[in-house]
Amino acid sequence: MGGPTASLHPLSRADGSASYRCPATGSNVLGSVNAPIELPGRRDALKPEDATIEVFVKPGTAPGGVGERHIEGILRDALSRIILGREKGYPRRGVVITLAIVGGDSIGRGASYLPILPALLHTSILALLSASVPLSMSISATILAVDSSGKIIREPSSADAAATASLHVLAFTSKGHLLLNESEGAFNFDTWERVYERALTICHGTSALGSDGDVAMTETVDSQPLEGLVRDTVEDRIHVEYAWKIDAA
Amino acid sequence: MASSAAVSTAPPALSLPPSQFARLQPHAYLLAHLSPPASSQQPSIRANGRAPSQFRVTSTNTGSLTHTNGSSVVRLGDTTAVCGIKAEILHTEDIASWSVSHSSSSSTPNKRRKLTNPTEKPGEDRQDGSDEVEDDDSYIEDFSLLVPNLSLSTGCAPGFIPGAPPSALAQSLSHRVLSLLHSSRLVRSEDLEIWYQRPNLGPEELERHNEDEQMDVDVEQDGSGSVGETREIKAFWVLYIDIMIISLAGNPFDAAWTAVLAALRDTKLPRAWWHADNETVICSDLVSEARRLSLRGLPVASSFRVFEADAASGWRAVIVPDAEEERKIAESDRKGIQRRWVLADPDGYEEGLAQERVCLVIDKDQRQNGKVVIVKMEKNGGFAVDRKELKELVAVSAQRWEEINKILGQC
Repeated sequence: MGGPTASLHPLSRADGSASYRCPATGSNVLGSVNAPIELPGRRDALKPEDATIEVFVKPGTAPGGVGERHIEGILRDALSRIILGREKGYPRRGVVITLAIVGGDSIGRGASYLPILPALLHTSILALLSASVPLSMSISATILAVDSSGKIIREPSSADAAATASLHVLAFTSKGHLLLNESEGAFNFDTWERVYERALTICHGTSALGSDGDVAMTETVDSQPLEGLVRDTVEDRIHVEYAWKIDAA
Repeated sequence: MASSAAVSTAPPALSLPPSQFARLQPHAYLLAHLSPPASSQQPSIRANGRAPSQFRVTSTNTGSLTHTNGSSVVRLGDTTAVCGIKAEILHTEDIASWSVSHSSSSSTPNKRRKLTNPTEKPGEDRQDGSDEVEDDDSYIEDFSLLVPNLSLSTGCAPGFIPGAPPSALAQSLSHRVLSLLHSSRLVRSEDLEIWYQRPNLGPEELERHNEDEQMDVDVEQDGSGSVGETREIKAFWVLYIDIMIISLAGNPFDAAWTAVLAALRDTKLPRAWWHADNETVICSDLVSEARRLSLRGLPVASSFRVFEADAASGWRAVIVPDAEEERKIAESDRKGIQRRWVLADPDGYEEGLAQERVCLVIDKDQRQNGKVVIVKMEKNGGFAVDRKELKELVAVSAQRWEEINKILGQC
């Protein structure tokens, strides 16, 4: 089974867009970002010095419900911490992130949204990069399941996720901070610490930071670190877009 | 009158009362409370007079609403939640997928799966030594037997207009309550099942019939005989859990979840059975026959917010210390100035000032000397809380569990 794949700018009308698919969890998400735009319903009394961030999640087969409102709130809280909404041109305007779940299993009422959360985070960060929205850091996220014997499963399929004791989604910034953690199911703190170590390795490789501040990406048992996926996708895109210049040089 | 005016002219009234300062400079106001100057000899205390890890006074009252099966009022400081639980009957013939997937005999594959592979169940279950056959909880999720709804449009806070459609916050809270009910497996589906015990028709009675009728009966008996019992589920109780936040001063989730817990503990379902002749479910009106739900454990929610001394930390272009440096700074923190405070049970004022939030749902396993089991751990919106901080918060939440356990035990 291959690792996750991503592409930048699949949509031509949006300011920025990205698609992301993770074969292991079966999730496939298409996201677009429009920023900065004028929001019609914006009230200036509400934080006039900052940009308003709006996230919309559209499930593939069903109309959106309370589960989508919840996950939109999670994404908004996480992303608003890394989007620099006070840069020039952004205050009082809006950053609108729209995420459509294109493939994968549909999520029923009251069911856990965690299996698709890493894909939604990756899609939105790539779409934000593609729209050139100022960010303080980038993020990478992963989902891990722990079964009742304590074994950690990376990126479980939806059938696996239903059978496990606990599910954990962790998102790390490119500087190694834990930005987001969503865990559910019965577990204890020692289990979570093991999950944390494993997730950090998946997102950042074994050695997180070199002495010169460069991120040293090392191949591990978990193949390429996810942080590298975000970088490589953007680098590839730049190579394509600047091909005329690189060839001329 | 004139003399008093003359006296007050001396100091120009530029000093503001604390309440106005709190409105004009909320961040500085809270920071001044949390880090008083060293010379003043005052303890670090929140603007509302609580210590950073102190929760508000919590009180509960159950069974106030007579038209519900169970109800509760929970006050968490000035946040008040009312929860009412109404049970309604869902006939299995009204469930479209029932006849396909779960006819009378087909509940056995589920049970069989459980019995052959008990290790696949979450840890909580294996400790339930008392129930011999594990109850299949997929019914609750598959047929939506628990329907929580949380309403904020009650005029609970100035921002929420009565009669408006449910806000994103209300929808999100409803979803969190529902997903926590599912993931903590608090309600047992065996409590919600209404069974029908088929009368045992003795075979000697049947032998008097003629030959071909007996054949039919035999076939039927073989089919049900393999199950062992002639029982089948005829209906389910559906619990409508309605939560009204009638006053909102921060931390609605803790209040709502505590209200749900208290109401579920208060819920009594009447004895119900299937009446074969009328083909309907009959409920007993005797209070003595009604039974309470047997809940699994007591998951207690505690929420926290992180207040940063640096007002610009939320929007600085270069978040300077990376995670490694951050830990070193934290070491030297204890000697010098504290830069951030984790505030337990934030009120509305603090919620507006602190972006990063943590929510922990903790249960203690009574069979294993009160071993702490984390049911849900959410952390979002910031970089301050990492492993070390979360470990401390788990300990704080474990204390909170004791408090709530005592409060709920009293009502």
